[in-house]
Amino acid sequence: MTNNAQSAPSLCFDRVSLSRGGNRILDNVCATAPGGGSTVLVGPNGAGKTTLLLCLIGQLAYEGTICVSGGERKPRTAYVPQTLSMDRSLPLRVAEFLALGRQRRPLWLGLRPSARSEARRLLRMVKAEHLEQSRMGDLSGGELRRVLLAAALAREPELLVLDEPAAGVDVRGERLFWELLDEARRAQGFTQIMVSHNLPLVAHYATHVVCLNKTVCAMGAPRATLISSTLMDLFGVPIHLYPDQCDPQDPGCPQCGAVGEGASLLPDYAAIKRREAARLAVMAATKDGCAVCPGESAPAGAASAESTRSSAETSPDGGSHA
Amino acid sequence: MPDFSPIYSLISLIPLDCLQMRFMQQALLGLLLLAPMASVLGVEVINFRMAFFSDAIGHSAFAGVALGLILAVPPRLAMPLFGVLVGFGIMAVRRNSDLSSDTVIGIVFSAVVAFGLAVVSRAEGVARDIQQFLYGDILTITPGEIGFLLLLFVALLVFQATGYNRLMYIALNPVMARVHGVRVALWQYAFAGLLALVVMFSVWAVGVLLVTAMLIVPAATARNLARSAGGMFWWALLVGTSSAFIGLTLSAQAWLATASGATIILVACCWFALSLVAARNSGRRRA
Repeated sequence: MTNNAQSAPSLCFDRVSLSRGGNRILDNVCATAPGGGSTVLVGPNGAGKTTLLLCLIGQLAYEGTICVSGGERKPRTAYVPQTLSMDRSLPLRVAEFLALGRQRRPLWLGLRPSARSEARRLLRMVKAEHLEQSRMGDLSGGELRRVLLAAALAREPELLVLDEPAAGVDVRGERLFWELLDEARRAQGFTQIMVSHNLPLVAHYATHVVCLNKTVCAMGAPRATLISSTLMDLFGVPIHLYPDQCDPQDPGCPQCGAVGEGASLLPDYAAIKRREAARLAVMAATKDGCAVCPGESAPAGAASAESTRSSAETSPDGGSHA
Repeated sequence: MPDFSPIYSLISLIPLDCLQMRFMQQALLGLLLLAPMASVLGVEVINFRMAFFSDAIGHSAFAGVALGLILAVPPRLAMPLFGVLVGFGIMAVRRNSDLSSDTVIGIVFSAVVAFGLAVVSRAEGVARDIQQFLYGDILTITPGEIGFLLLLFVALLVFQATGYNRLMYIALNPVMARVHGVRVALWQYAFAGLLALVVMFSVWAVGVLLVTAMLIVPAATARNLARSAGGMFWWALLVGTSSAFIGLTLSAQAWLATASGATIILVACCWFALSLVAARNSGRRRA
């Protein structure tokens, strides 16, 4: 397996706009995706995230430019779709599916031994070696997504594009998917750009976040970008990913912790103080400040961005592009 | 004109009375070329969910004949040409429009059938053409047409050898296939063109009412019986070809004396019923 870290392209979207049927879907999108990084597009439904990816892979015509660094050559790109259009009766084996893009010999003349061993290697990479002889239609949601990831990794991509690759997968399956993806990116050194709605996992694994709602609302390291005020603008509901960024004036419902107008009951300041103290103790016990996963270093972007909301607003890459 | 007499003498070795006549030998040869093509393309038709597409092309045969009448082109030339045009047309609209593909096909379908009926209602003496269009008439196939089928057979063999994997990829997810280096548009148009040609010849063999069956039934049977995507190809081939052979010889028996096209499809449907039982059993084993 080669490591493409040297040649991993960085992307630059320069005033990308797209209208369809009079509707402005993308409006002067200016964004970047660092080479070798894990960039995640975050935003509500209909914000144009998938559309932006389709522009990137040349599936849709757009105004503006998308430049890819790293010479004239187009980067070797792989794509992980949300799902496949097939019904359960299709007797396609996982090994055959992985060979589709790899061997010229038609499937009706059988799999080459090399294609077989390649399929086995790829499946090991996504922790799915037991599925080699399974039918594609018999896979669970999580297994299918991992096989799709394997098919994309088979191309040894320099640029990997993923469109909500783990949507509809259970918590454990989605976590495993992100973990495998992160491992593969570190091993192969590709640039990754994906759409996701799972904010906690984005905060944990992404190195660069683009908040998109037809236009770019904020961009930068997750810690500096996924702050409650940006998420409020983006989704219209209060979301707090980082406890220290919670507004102490709005402590939320003392029973369930929910924040918002409906929950503005009498705050229990003593409880908040206790919670805060406990959190600080956990933070002090771990070196990198990530209490969720001790023993695993936080992603580069998250670690380097120990910034609060005020510094995010003034930092060059965390500021608003609107 | 190629000489098929060695093949005919080979066919006459089969100890069946009905196969001693030249027109039956020609019909069998024609079917043995056509049935494998149709059944293998059927695998892809099912993958692409394009059964309705092939039906629409089949019905455009009628409009093709009508157009041939107007332009004084022999119907057997006008039919396939028009079918290919309609196939490309549907594919182009399907690729470039937001309408769902069955809506697009439904519109084209209605247009071509209405056009055919309108022309035929004005002209006289086309009753026989309509009869042939509806029920098929493989027994009147000419050596020239067999020669053309042979060419088509070779083209389709090359197409399946180079395109089977790619078409499967496109059917699963066209965007992924394109990003991963498959020339999606080229393969889709090539598929539509070849499918249109095969459908036109199938109209001739089994009639427009049964043309979709000739594509779909062997492939659906193969889905039930095959254990892999490669096996699906061979099962479709086996079911399609054996149905054609058994159906043709059965229909020529004095005690049955049925239309050959319909008999072929009935045999294929028997295959399908058997495959359902087999699939249920293997499903029980897997569960």
